[in-house]
Amino acid sequence: MRRLPVYLVLDTSASMQGEPIAAVRRGVKTLIDTLRTDPYALETAFLSIITFNTNAHLAMPLTELMSFKEPDLNASGCTALGEALELLSVKSDIDVIKTDQNVKGDWKPLVFIMTDGAPTDDYRYGLAEFKKRKFGMVVACAAGRNANINVLKKITDNVVQLETADSRTISAFFKWVSASVSTSSMKIESGAETGLLSELPPPPPEINVVI
Amino acid sequence: MSQLITVKATDGTYFDFIDEVIGSGAMKDVYFSPDHKYVVGFFRNNQDGRSIDRLMNIVGIYRDKIFKQAGGDYFKDYFCWPEKLVEWNGKIGVVCPAYNKKFFFESGMFKGKEKEGKWFASAKLRNKFLPASEKGTWLNYLQICIRIARAVRRLHAAGLAHSDLSYKNVLVDPQTGSACIIDCDGLVVPGKYPPDVAGSPDFIAPEVMQTKTLKVGDPNKALPSIYTDRHALAVLIYMYLLYRHPLRGGKVFNTDPAKDEELAMGKFALFIEHPTDFSNRPNYKQISESEMPQSDIDKRPYTLVGPYLKALFDRAFIEGLHNPEKRPSAAEWEDALVKTADLVVQCNNSKCDSHWFVFNNNEKCQCPFCGAKFKEKVPIFNFYYSKSKGTFRPENYSLVIHDNGPLFTWHVNRYVTPNEKINAKDKVPVGDFHCQRGNWYFVNRSLESLWDFSNSEKKHIKPGEQVELKQGQKLLLTTEEGGRLAIVQFSEN
Repeated sequence: MRRLPVYLVLDTSASMQGEPIAAVRRGVKTLIDTLRTDPYALETAFLSIITFNTNAHLAMPLTELMSFKEPDLNASGCTALGEALELLSVKSDIDVIKTDQNVKGDWKPLVFIMTDGAPTDDYRYGLAEFKKRKFGMVVACAAGRNANINVLKKITDNVVQLETADSRTISAFFKWVSASVSTSSMKIESGAETGLLSELPPPPPEINVVI
Repeated sequence: MSQLITVKATDGTYFDFIDEVIGSGAMKDVYFSPDHKYVVGFFRNNQDGRSIDRLMNIVGIYRDKIFKQAGGDYFKDYFCWPEKLVEWNGKIGVVCPAYNKKFFFESGMFKGKEKEGKWFASAKLRNKFLPASEKGTWLNYLQICIRIARAVRRLHAAGLAHSDLSYKNVLVDPQTGSACIIDCDGLVVPGKYPPDVAGSPDFIAPEVMQTKTLKVGDPNKALPSIYTDRHALAVLIYMYLLYRHPLRGGKVFNTDPAKDEELAMGKFALFIEHPTDFSNRPNYKQISESEMPQSDIDKRPYTLVGPYLKALFDRAFIEGLHNPEKRPSAAEWEDALVKTADLVVQCNNSKCDSHWFVFNNNEKCQCPFCGAKFKEKVPIFNFYYSKSKGTFRPENYSLVIHDNGPLFTWHVNRYVTPNEKINAKDKVPVGDFHCQRGNWYFVNRSLESLWDFSNSEKKHIKPGEQVELKQGQKLLLTTEEGGRLAIVQFSEN
C-alpha cells in the first residue's frame, strides 16, 4: 500500500510567540485528532513536522497518524526558511520510497508551509534543493501581513494568506489542512495529480488565495 | 438556540429543519429535522436546470419505481433515498431519512463516526484500529454483500445506475450484517442524464479510467453505467470477503506513482490472482505487516469464497475486466452469494475471528482463515431439479447441514427465492436438522409431500415425522412443480 507522506513546515520564530504559537499547537492537535478518525487518512497518510526559527529542526519524523505525538512547539529566534527547505529536501530523500521498475513507492508528498515573516537566512540554496525534488501538492501559507509573499511564490504557485495571525485564522488554516489531507488520501488514487490548489477542498473565508 | 426554519418542498409539503450545520460533505452542508429523523443537505454550488430536473426525478418517478412497487417497503432499509427537494436562500436541498443508529460507531475512539465501508474492507484498519466487537463474522460480510447486490440489482432493474458505488457510499454494520446505499442523488439514467463523476478510486471501471482524459462528448469516452456499477460491485464483494483489492498487485506500470495508478486501474488492469499471468501478483516484500495475512493470496486464495463466487470473480476480473458485457450482473451476484450462505460452517476454533467459512468437501477440510481442521462429519444435501417428470439433473447447488439448522421453502422449491418477493409463509422453516449421538435426522414440520426414494419401496414422510439421514439417500422434498430432489452425502473429512 502506497503511503501518502505529509510534511508540515512551521515557522516558530520569535514573532510567533504568544497567541499564534498557542494556536499552532492547538491546530496540530486538532489536525491529528481529526485525521485519526478518517479511515482513508489512517490507512495511507504519514505525517512529519519540521519547524524553523534560528535553525531548522525535525520536530517529528515521518510517522503513522496513530503513533504520532504532538511535538512541543515554542517560539523564539529568527526565520531560517531556507534551512527548513533544505531539511525538508534531505528528509524527503530518506523518508519517501521512490517508485522504480520493481518497487511501488509512495505517493508524492504533500507539503504545507506556514510562516508569519520573511526569511532571515539566504534561502536560495534551500529553495534550489527543494525545487530539484518532486513534491505533490505544495501549499505555502502567509500568516498575517508581515509574511513575505514573494518568497513564498518562488516556492509554489499555491500561496494562501491569513489576514492576521491569530487563533481564529490559524485554527481555520489547520482545519483546512486536515480536510485537504483527508481529500487527498481519498482522491489521490484516481491518478489526477496535478498539484493545483483546485484539487483541495475550497478554503474557508479566513483563508485568501493569493494569485 | 438555533432557529427552526420551514421551507416548502417541490411536492407542496413543508419541511422543518434546525439552522445548524451538522456536517459538510464534498458538495453539501447538512442539517437535521427537529425530530432528527430526517436530514436536509443543501448543495453549496448552484444546480443547473438539468441537475434540478434529475433531482426531481430521483425524488419522484425513480423513487416510485423502487419503493411504490410490490416489495417496495422491503428496500427502505437498503437505501437512504432522497424524498423531497427544497430550496432555501437560493440553494437546492435534498431531504433524506437520517441514517439508522446502527450505522454509527457506538463507543471507542471512533464513537459517533459513520460506519463507512472502508473501515471494514481495509486489512490495515481491521488489524490495527477496529475494535474486535465491531468486526462481525465472515458470515456477516456475506450478508452485507447479499444486501448490496440485492439493492444494486433492484436499481438496475429499474433502469438506473448508481454510478459511484464505493465503500464510501455504502454504510455497513457487520454486527448485524446490514448495509445501506447512500448518496443516491448522483444516480445516472443511461442515455438521459450523464454522470457527474467518474466514480471513486478503487472502484472506477478500467474503461472509464482509461478514457478519463478524453473530452466530454467524445464517443470513445466511457461513462459510468450499469456495466461500470457491475465492476464496482465485484470489487466491493471481493474486498468485503477477502480484505484486499483485486487489482492492486506488485506490478509497476510507470515510475510516476500517479501514472502507475492510472494504468494499474485502467488500461493495463490485471487481476492479482490471474491463473496464468502472474505478473501482478503481490510483492510480499513490499506489503506491510499490518496488511497481513489478508494480502497473502497463497494463504488466502480467492477460491476460499466457494465455487459459485469463484466463477463470478473469474468473469468479473479475468474475462470481463476489459470486456464490460461479460461482467456478472448484480442478480447473478445475489444468487451466488445466497447459495454460498448455504455452504458455510462454523469454525471449530473458538478464537477464530472469522467464525465461519465456506465448507470444502475434502479430507483436509480446514478453516482458510485460522487453519483449524474441521472435525465434524456433516451431511450435505446435493440438489437436483426436474425438467420433465421423473428425471432429475444436478443443479450445482448444495446445502451443508448444521445441527439445529433449518430447511426453507427456497431449498425445497426452485421457484422460490429468498428476496423481497418472498411471502411471510415462506420465511418459516419447513423442517430442521438434528444430530443425536452421531446420527443425523431431519424433522419434517410442514412438507406435505416429502418422499424418501432410497429404497425400492418409496416412503411418505408426513409433517411431524422424522427421517434419519444416510449416505446416498434420495429425498424428494415436494411433488409440487419446481420441487427438488436432495441426495444426501456425508462429508469426507
